[in-house]
Amino acid sequence: MNLVLDVALATALTVLAWRSLAGPDLFRGIVMYVVFGMVMAVAWARLGSADLAMAEAAIGAGVTGALVMVAYWRLRRIAPVEPADPSPRRSRLAATVAVLSAGVVAAIGLAAVQAIGPGGIAGRALVEALPATGLGNPITGVLVIFRNLDTVLEVAVLLAAYLAVRALLGDGGESLAQPPTQRGTLVAALVSVVAPMTVLVAVYLWRAGSQWPGGAFQAGAVLAACGVLLFLTGRLRPAVEAGPVVRAALVLGTAAFGVLGVAMLFVGQPLLAIPGSWAVYLIEAAMMVSIGVTLALLFAGAAGVGGGRR
Amino acid sequence: MSALEGVAAAFLLAGAGFYLAGTVGLLRFPDALSRLHALTKADNVGLLLVCVGLALVAGSPREAALLLLVWLMALLAATVSAHLIARRALADARDGASAVEGPP
Amino acid sequence: MNGLLAFLVVFLLANLAAGMWRVHRGPTPADRMLSALLIGSTSVAMLLLLAAWLQQPALRVAALIVVLLAAILSIAYAGIARPVAVAPERAGPPGDPP
Repeated sequence: MNLVLDVALATALTVLAWRSLAGPDLFRGIVMYVVFGMVMAVAWARLGSADLAMAEAAIGAGVTGALVMVAYWRLRRIAPVEPADPSPRRSRLAATVAVLSAGVVAAIGLAAVQAIGPGGIAGRALVEALPATGLGNPITGVLVIFRNLDTVLEVAVLLAAYLAVRALLGDGGESLAQPPTQRGTLVAALVSVVAPMTVLVAVYLWRAGSQWPGGAFQAGAVLAACGVLLFLTGRLRPAVEAGPVVRAALVLGTAAFGVLGVAMLFVGQPLLAIPGSWAVYLIEAAMMVSIGVTLALLFAGAAGVGGGRR
Repeated sequence: MSALEGVAAAFLLAGAGFYLAGTVGLLRFPDALSRLHALTKADNVGLLLVCVGLALVAGSPREAALLLLVWLMALLAATVSAHLIARRALADARDGASAVEGPP
Repeated sequence: MNGLLAFLVVFLLANLAAGMWRVHRGPTPADRMLSALLIGSTSVAMLLLLAAWLQQPALRVAALIVVLLAAILSIAYAGIARPVAVAPERAGPPGDPP
């Protein structure tokens, strides 16, 4: 039964990935892509990785689905009719690239199989070093303590992405076209329940992330999805200028992590050493806010937010 | 299996049956509105039966409460989603064509 | 019980595959969206079953996240599905940014 499930999941994922990209119908590809995200979350769950299942669920269900839909709407405003493509021409390179890619993936997979788990060198060292940090979740340990240089740079990259969007929007004061907001009674009722619940779930994920599956990224993704919901229903309006609160929220993650890491140098510790679990909570809270605000603004294609009309 | 597990298994199988009914309706019914009608039964009742079955074998009241919360939120999400999609399906049927995209 | 949970996960995956077929066939966008709705609900049930089968309580929180955010896609779809008044009299070729 295990094998049947695994083979079925792998087949479904491959078919969904293929159908997302193939075929002339762009809307169908979008829905296939969203379904791919959901099946991916189930696949992560099957592999026993609840952290990744949560992250995939939050990003796939909340952010990227709506993002691709709105992008499709904007595309249709520019090019209302899809160009007729009677027969897709096959490139002669296609087969070669496919075989090479499969080979690369297989090689990486074989190497990973030998390196994962407590049998691998890094895994053994992690299992030995984790209890001393007071954390119970090895993923949080790796992200915030053992390999935190990667995490600092990731949050900085998110900030850079926001700045790139600002650069694309330009100084002209124009904002991207937004689809009509949904303001019906049922949708309003949904928002009044879901928005506070997402904040509650995000705070839970932040708090639980040090001992159980969860953490800053999942919490930030859930907050971003709440932001997406508020944009779609008109509770938040995109603005072309970022107010001081938004600016503070955007840099908070990078700044908190960076300042703490550099401050460690002044007390005789190595760069980015983490002094205790209080520091883990602080850094994760800062990252949660930054990730949530940045992703929500990237969805809206806006520099900042204004309040919505009631 | 104990009696409790037997009852839970019955609930789980019934829930799976409702999901099957929803899928059959999705595949066989002639148009979007009737398909929506079929799958909302699977959504609400099927998930309820699965949640009840799992709650009976849950390890603690906290887990059972979380299952109840998941079902309640699913109810809300499915209701609003079905309403919005049905509105579009009705408009599509009235207009005779989709305004969003080209050929299927 | 464990065997039943595993079987149900595979059974629901088969249902999900059938939903994929409806996404493929359409014919209207509403059909594809309602299939996505059923697939989302099936995924939630699968996550809950996996939580019990694999003894991973955190997967219930993952299921909660999915249901919380499930309506967002439909709300986005409702926003984009209105007839859009595009101005085809623009002189430039398609693909120019507005």
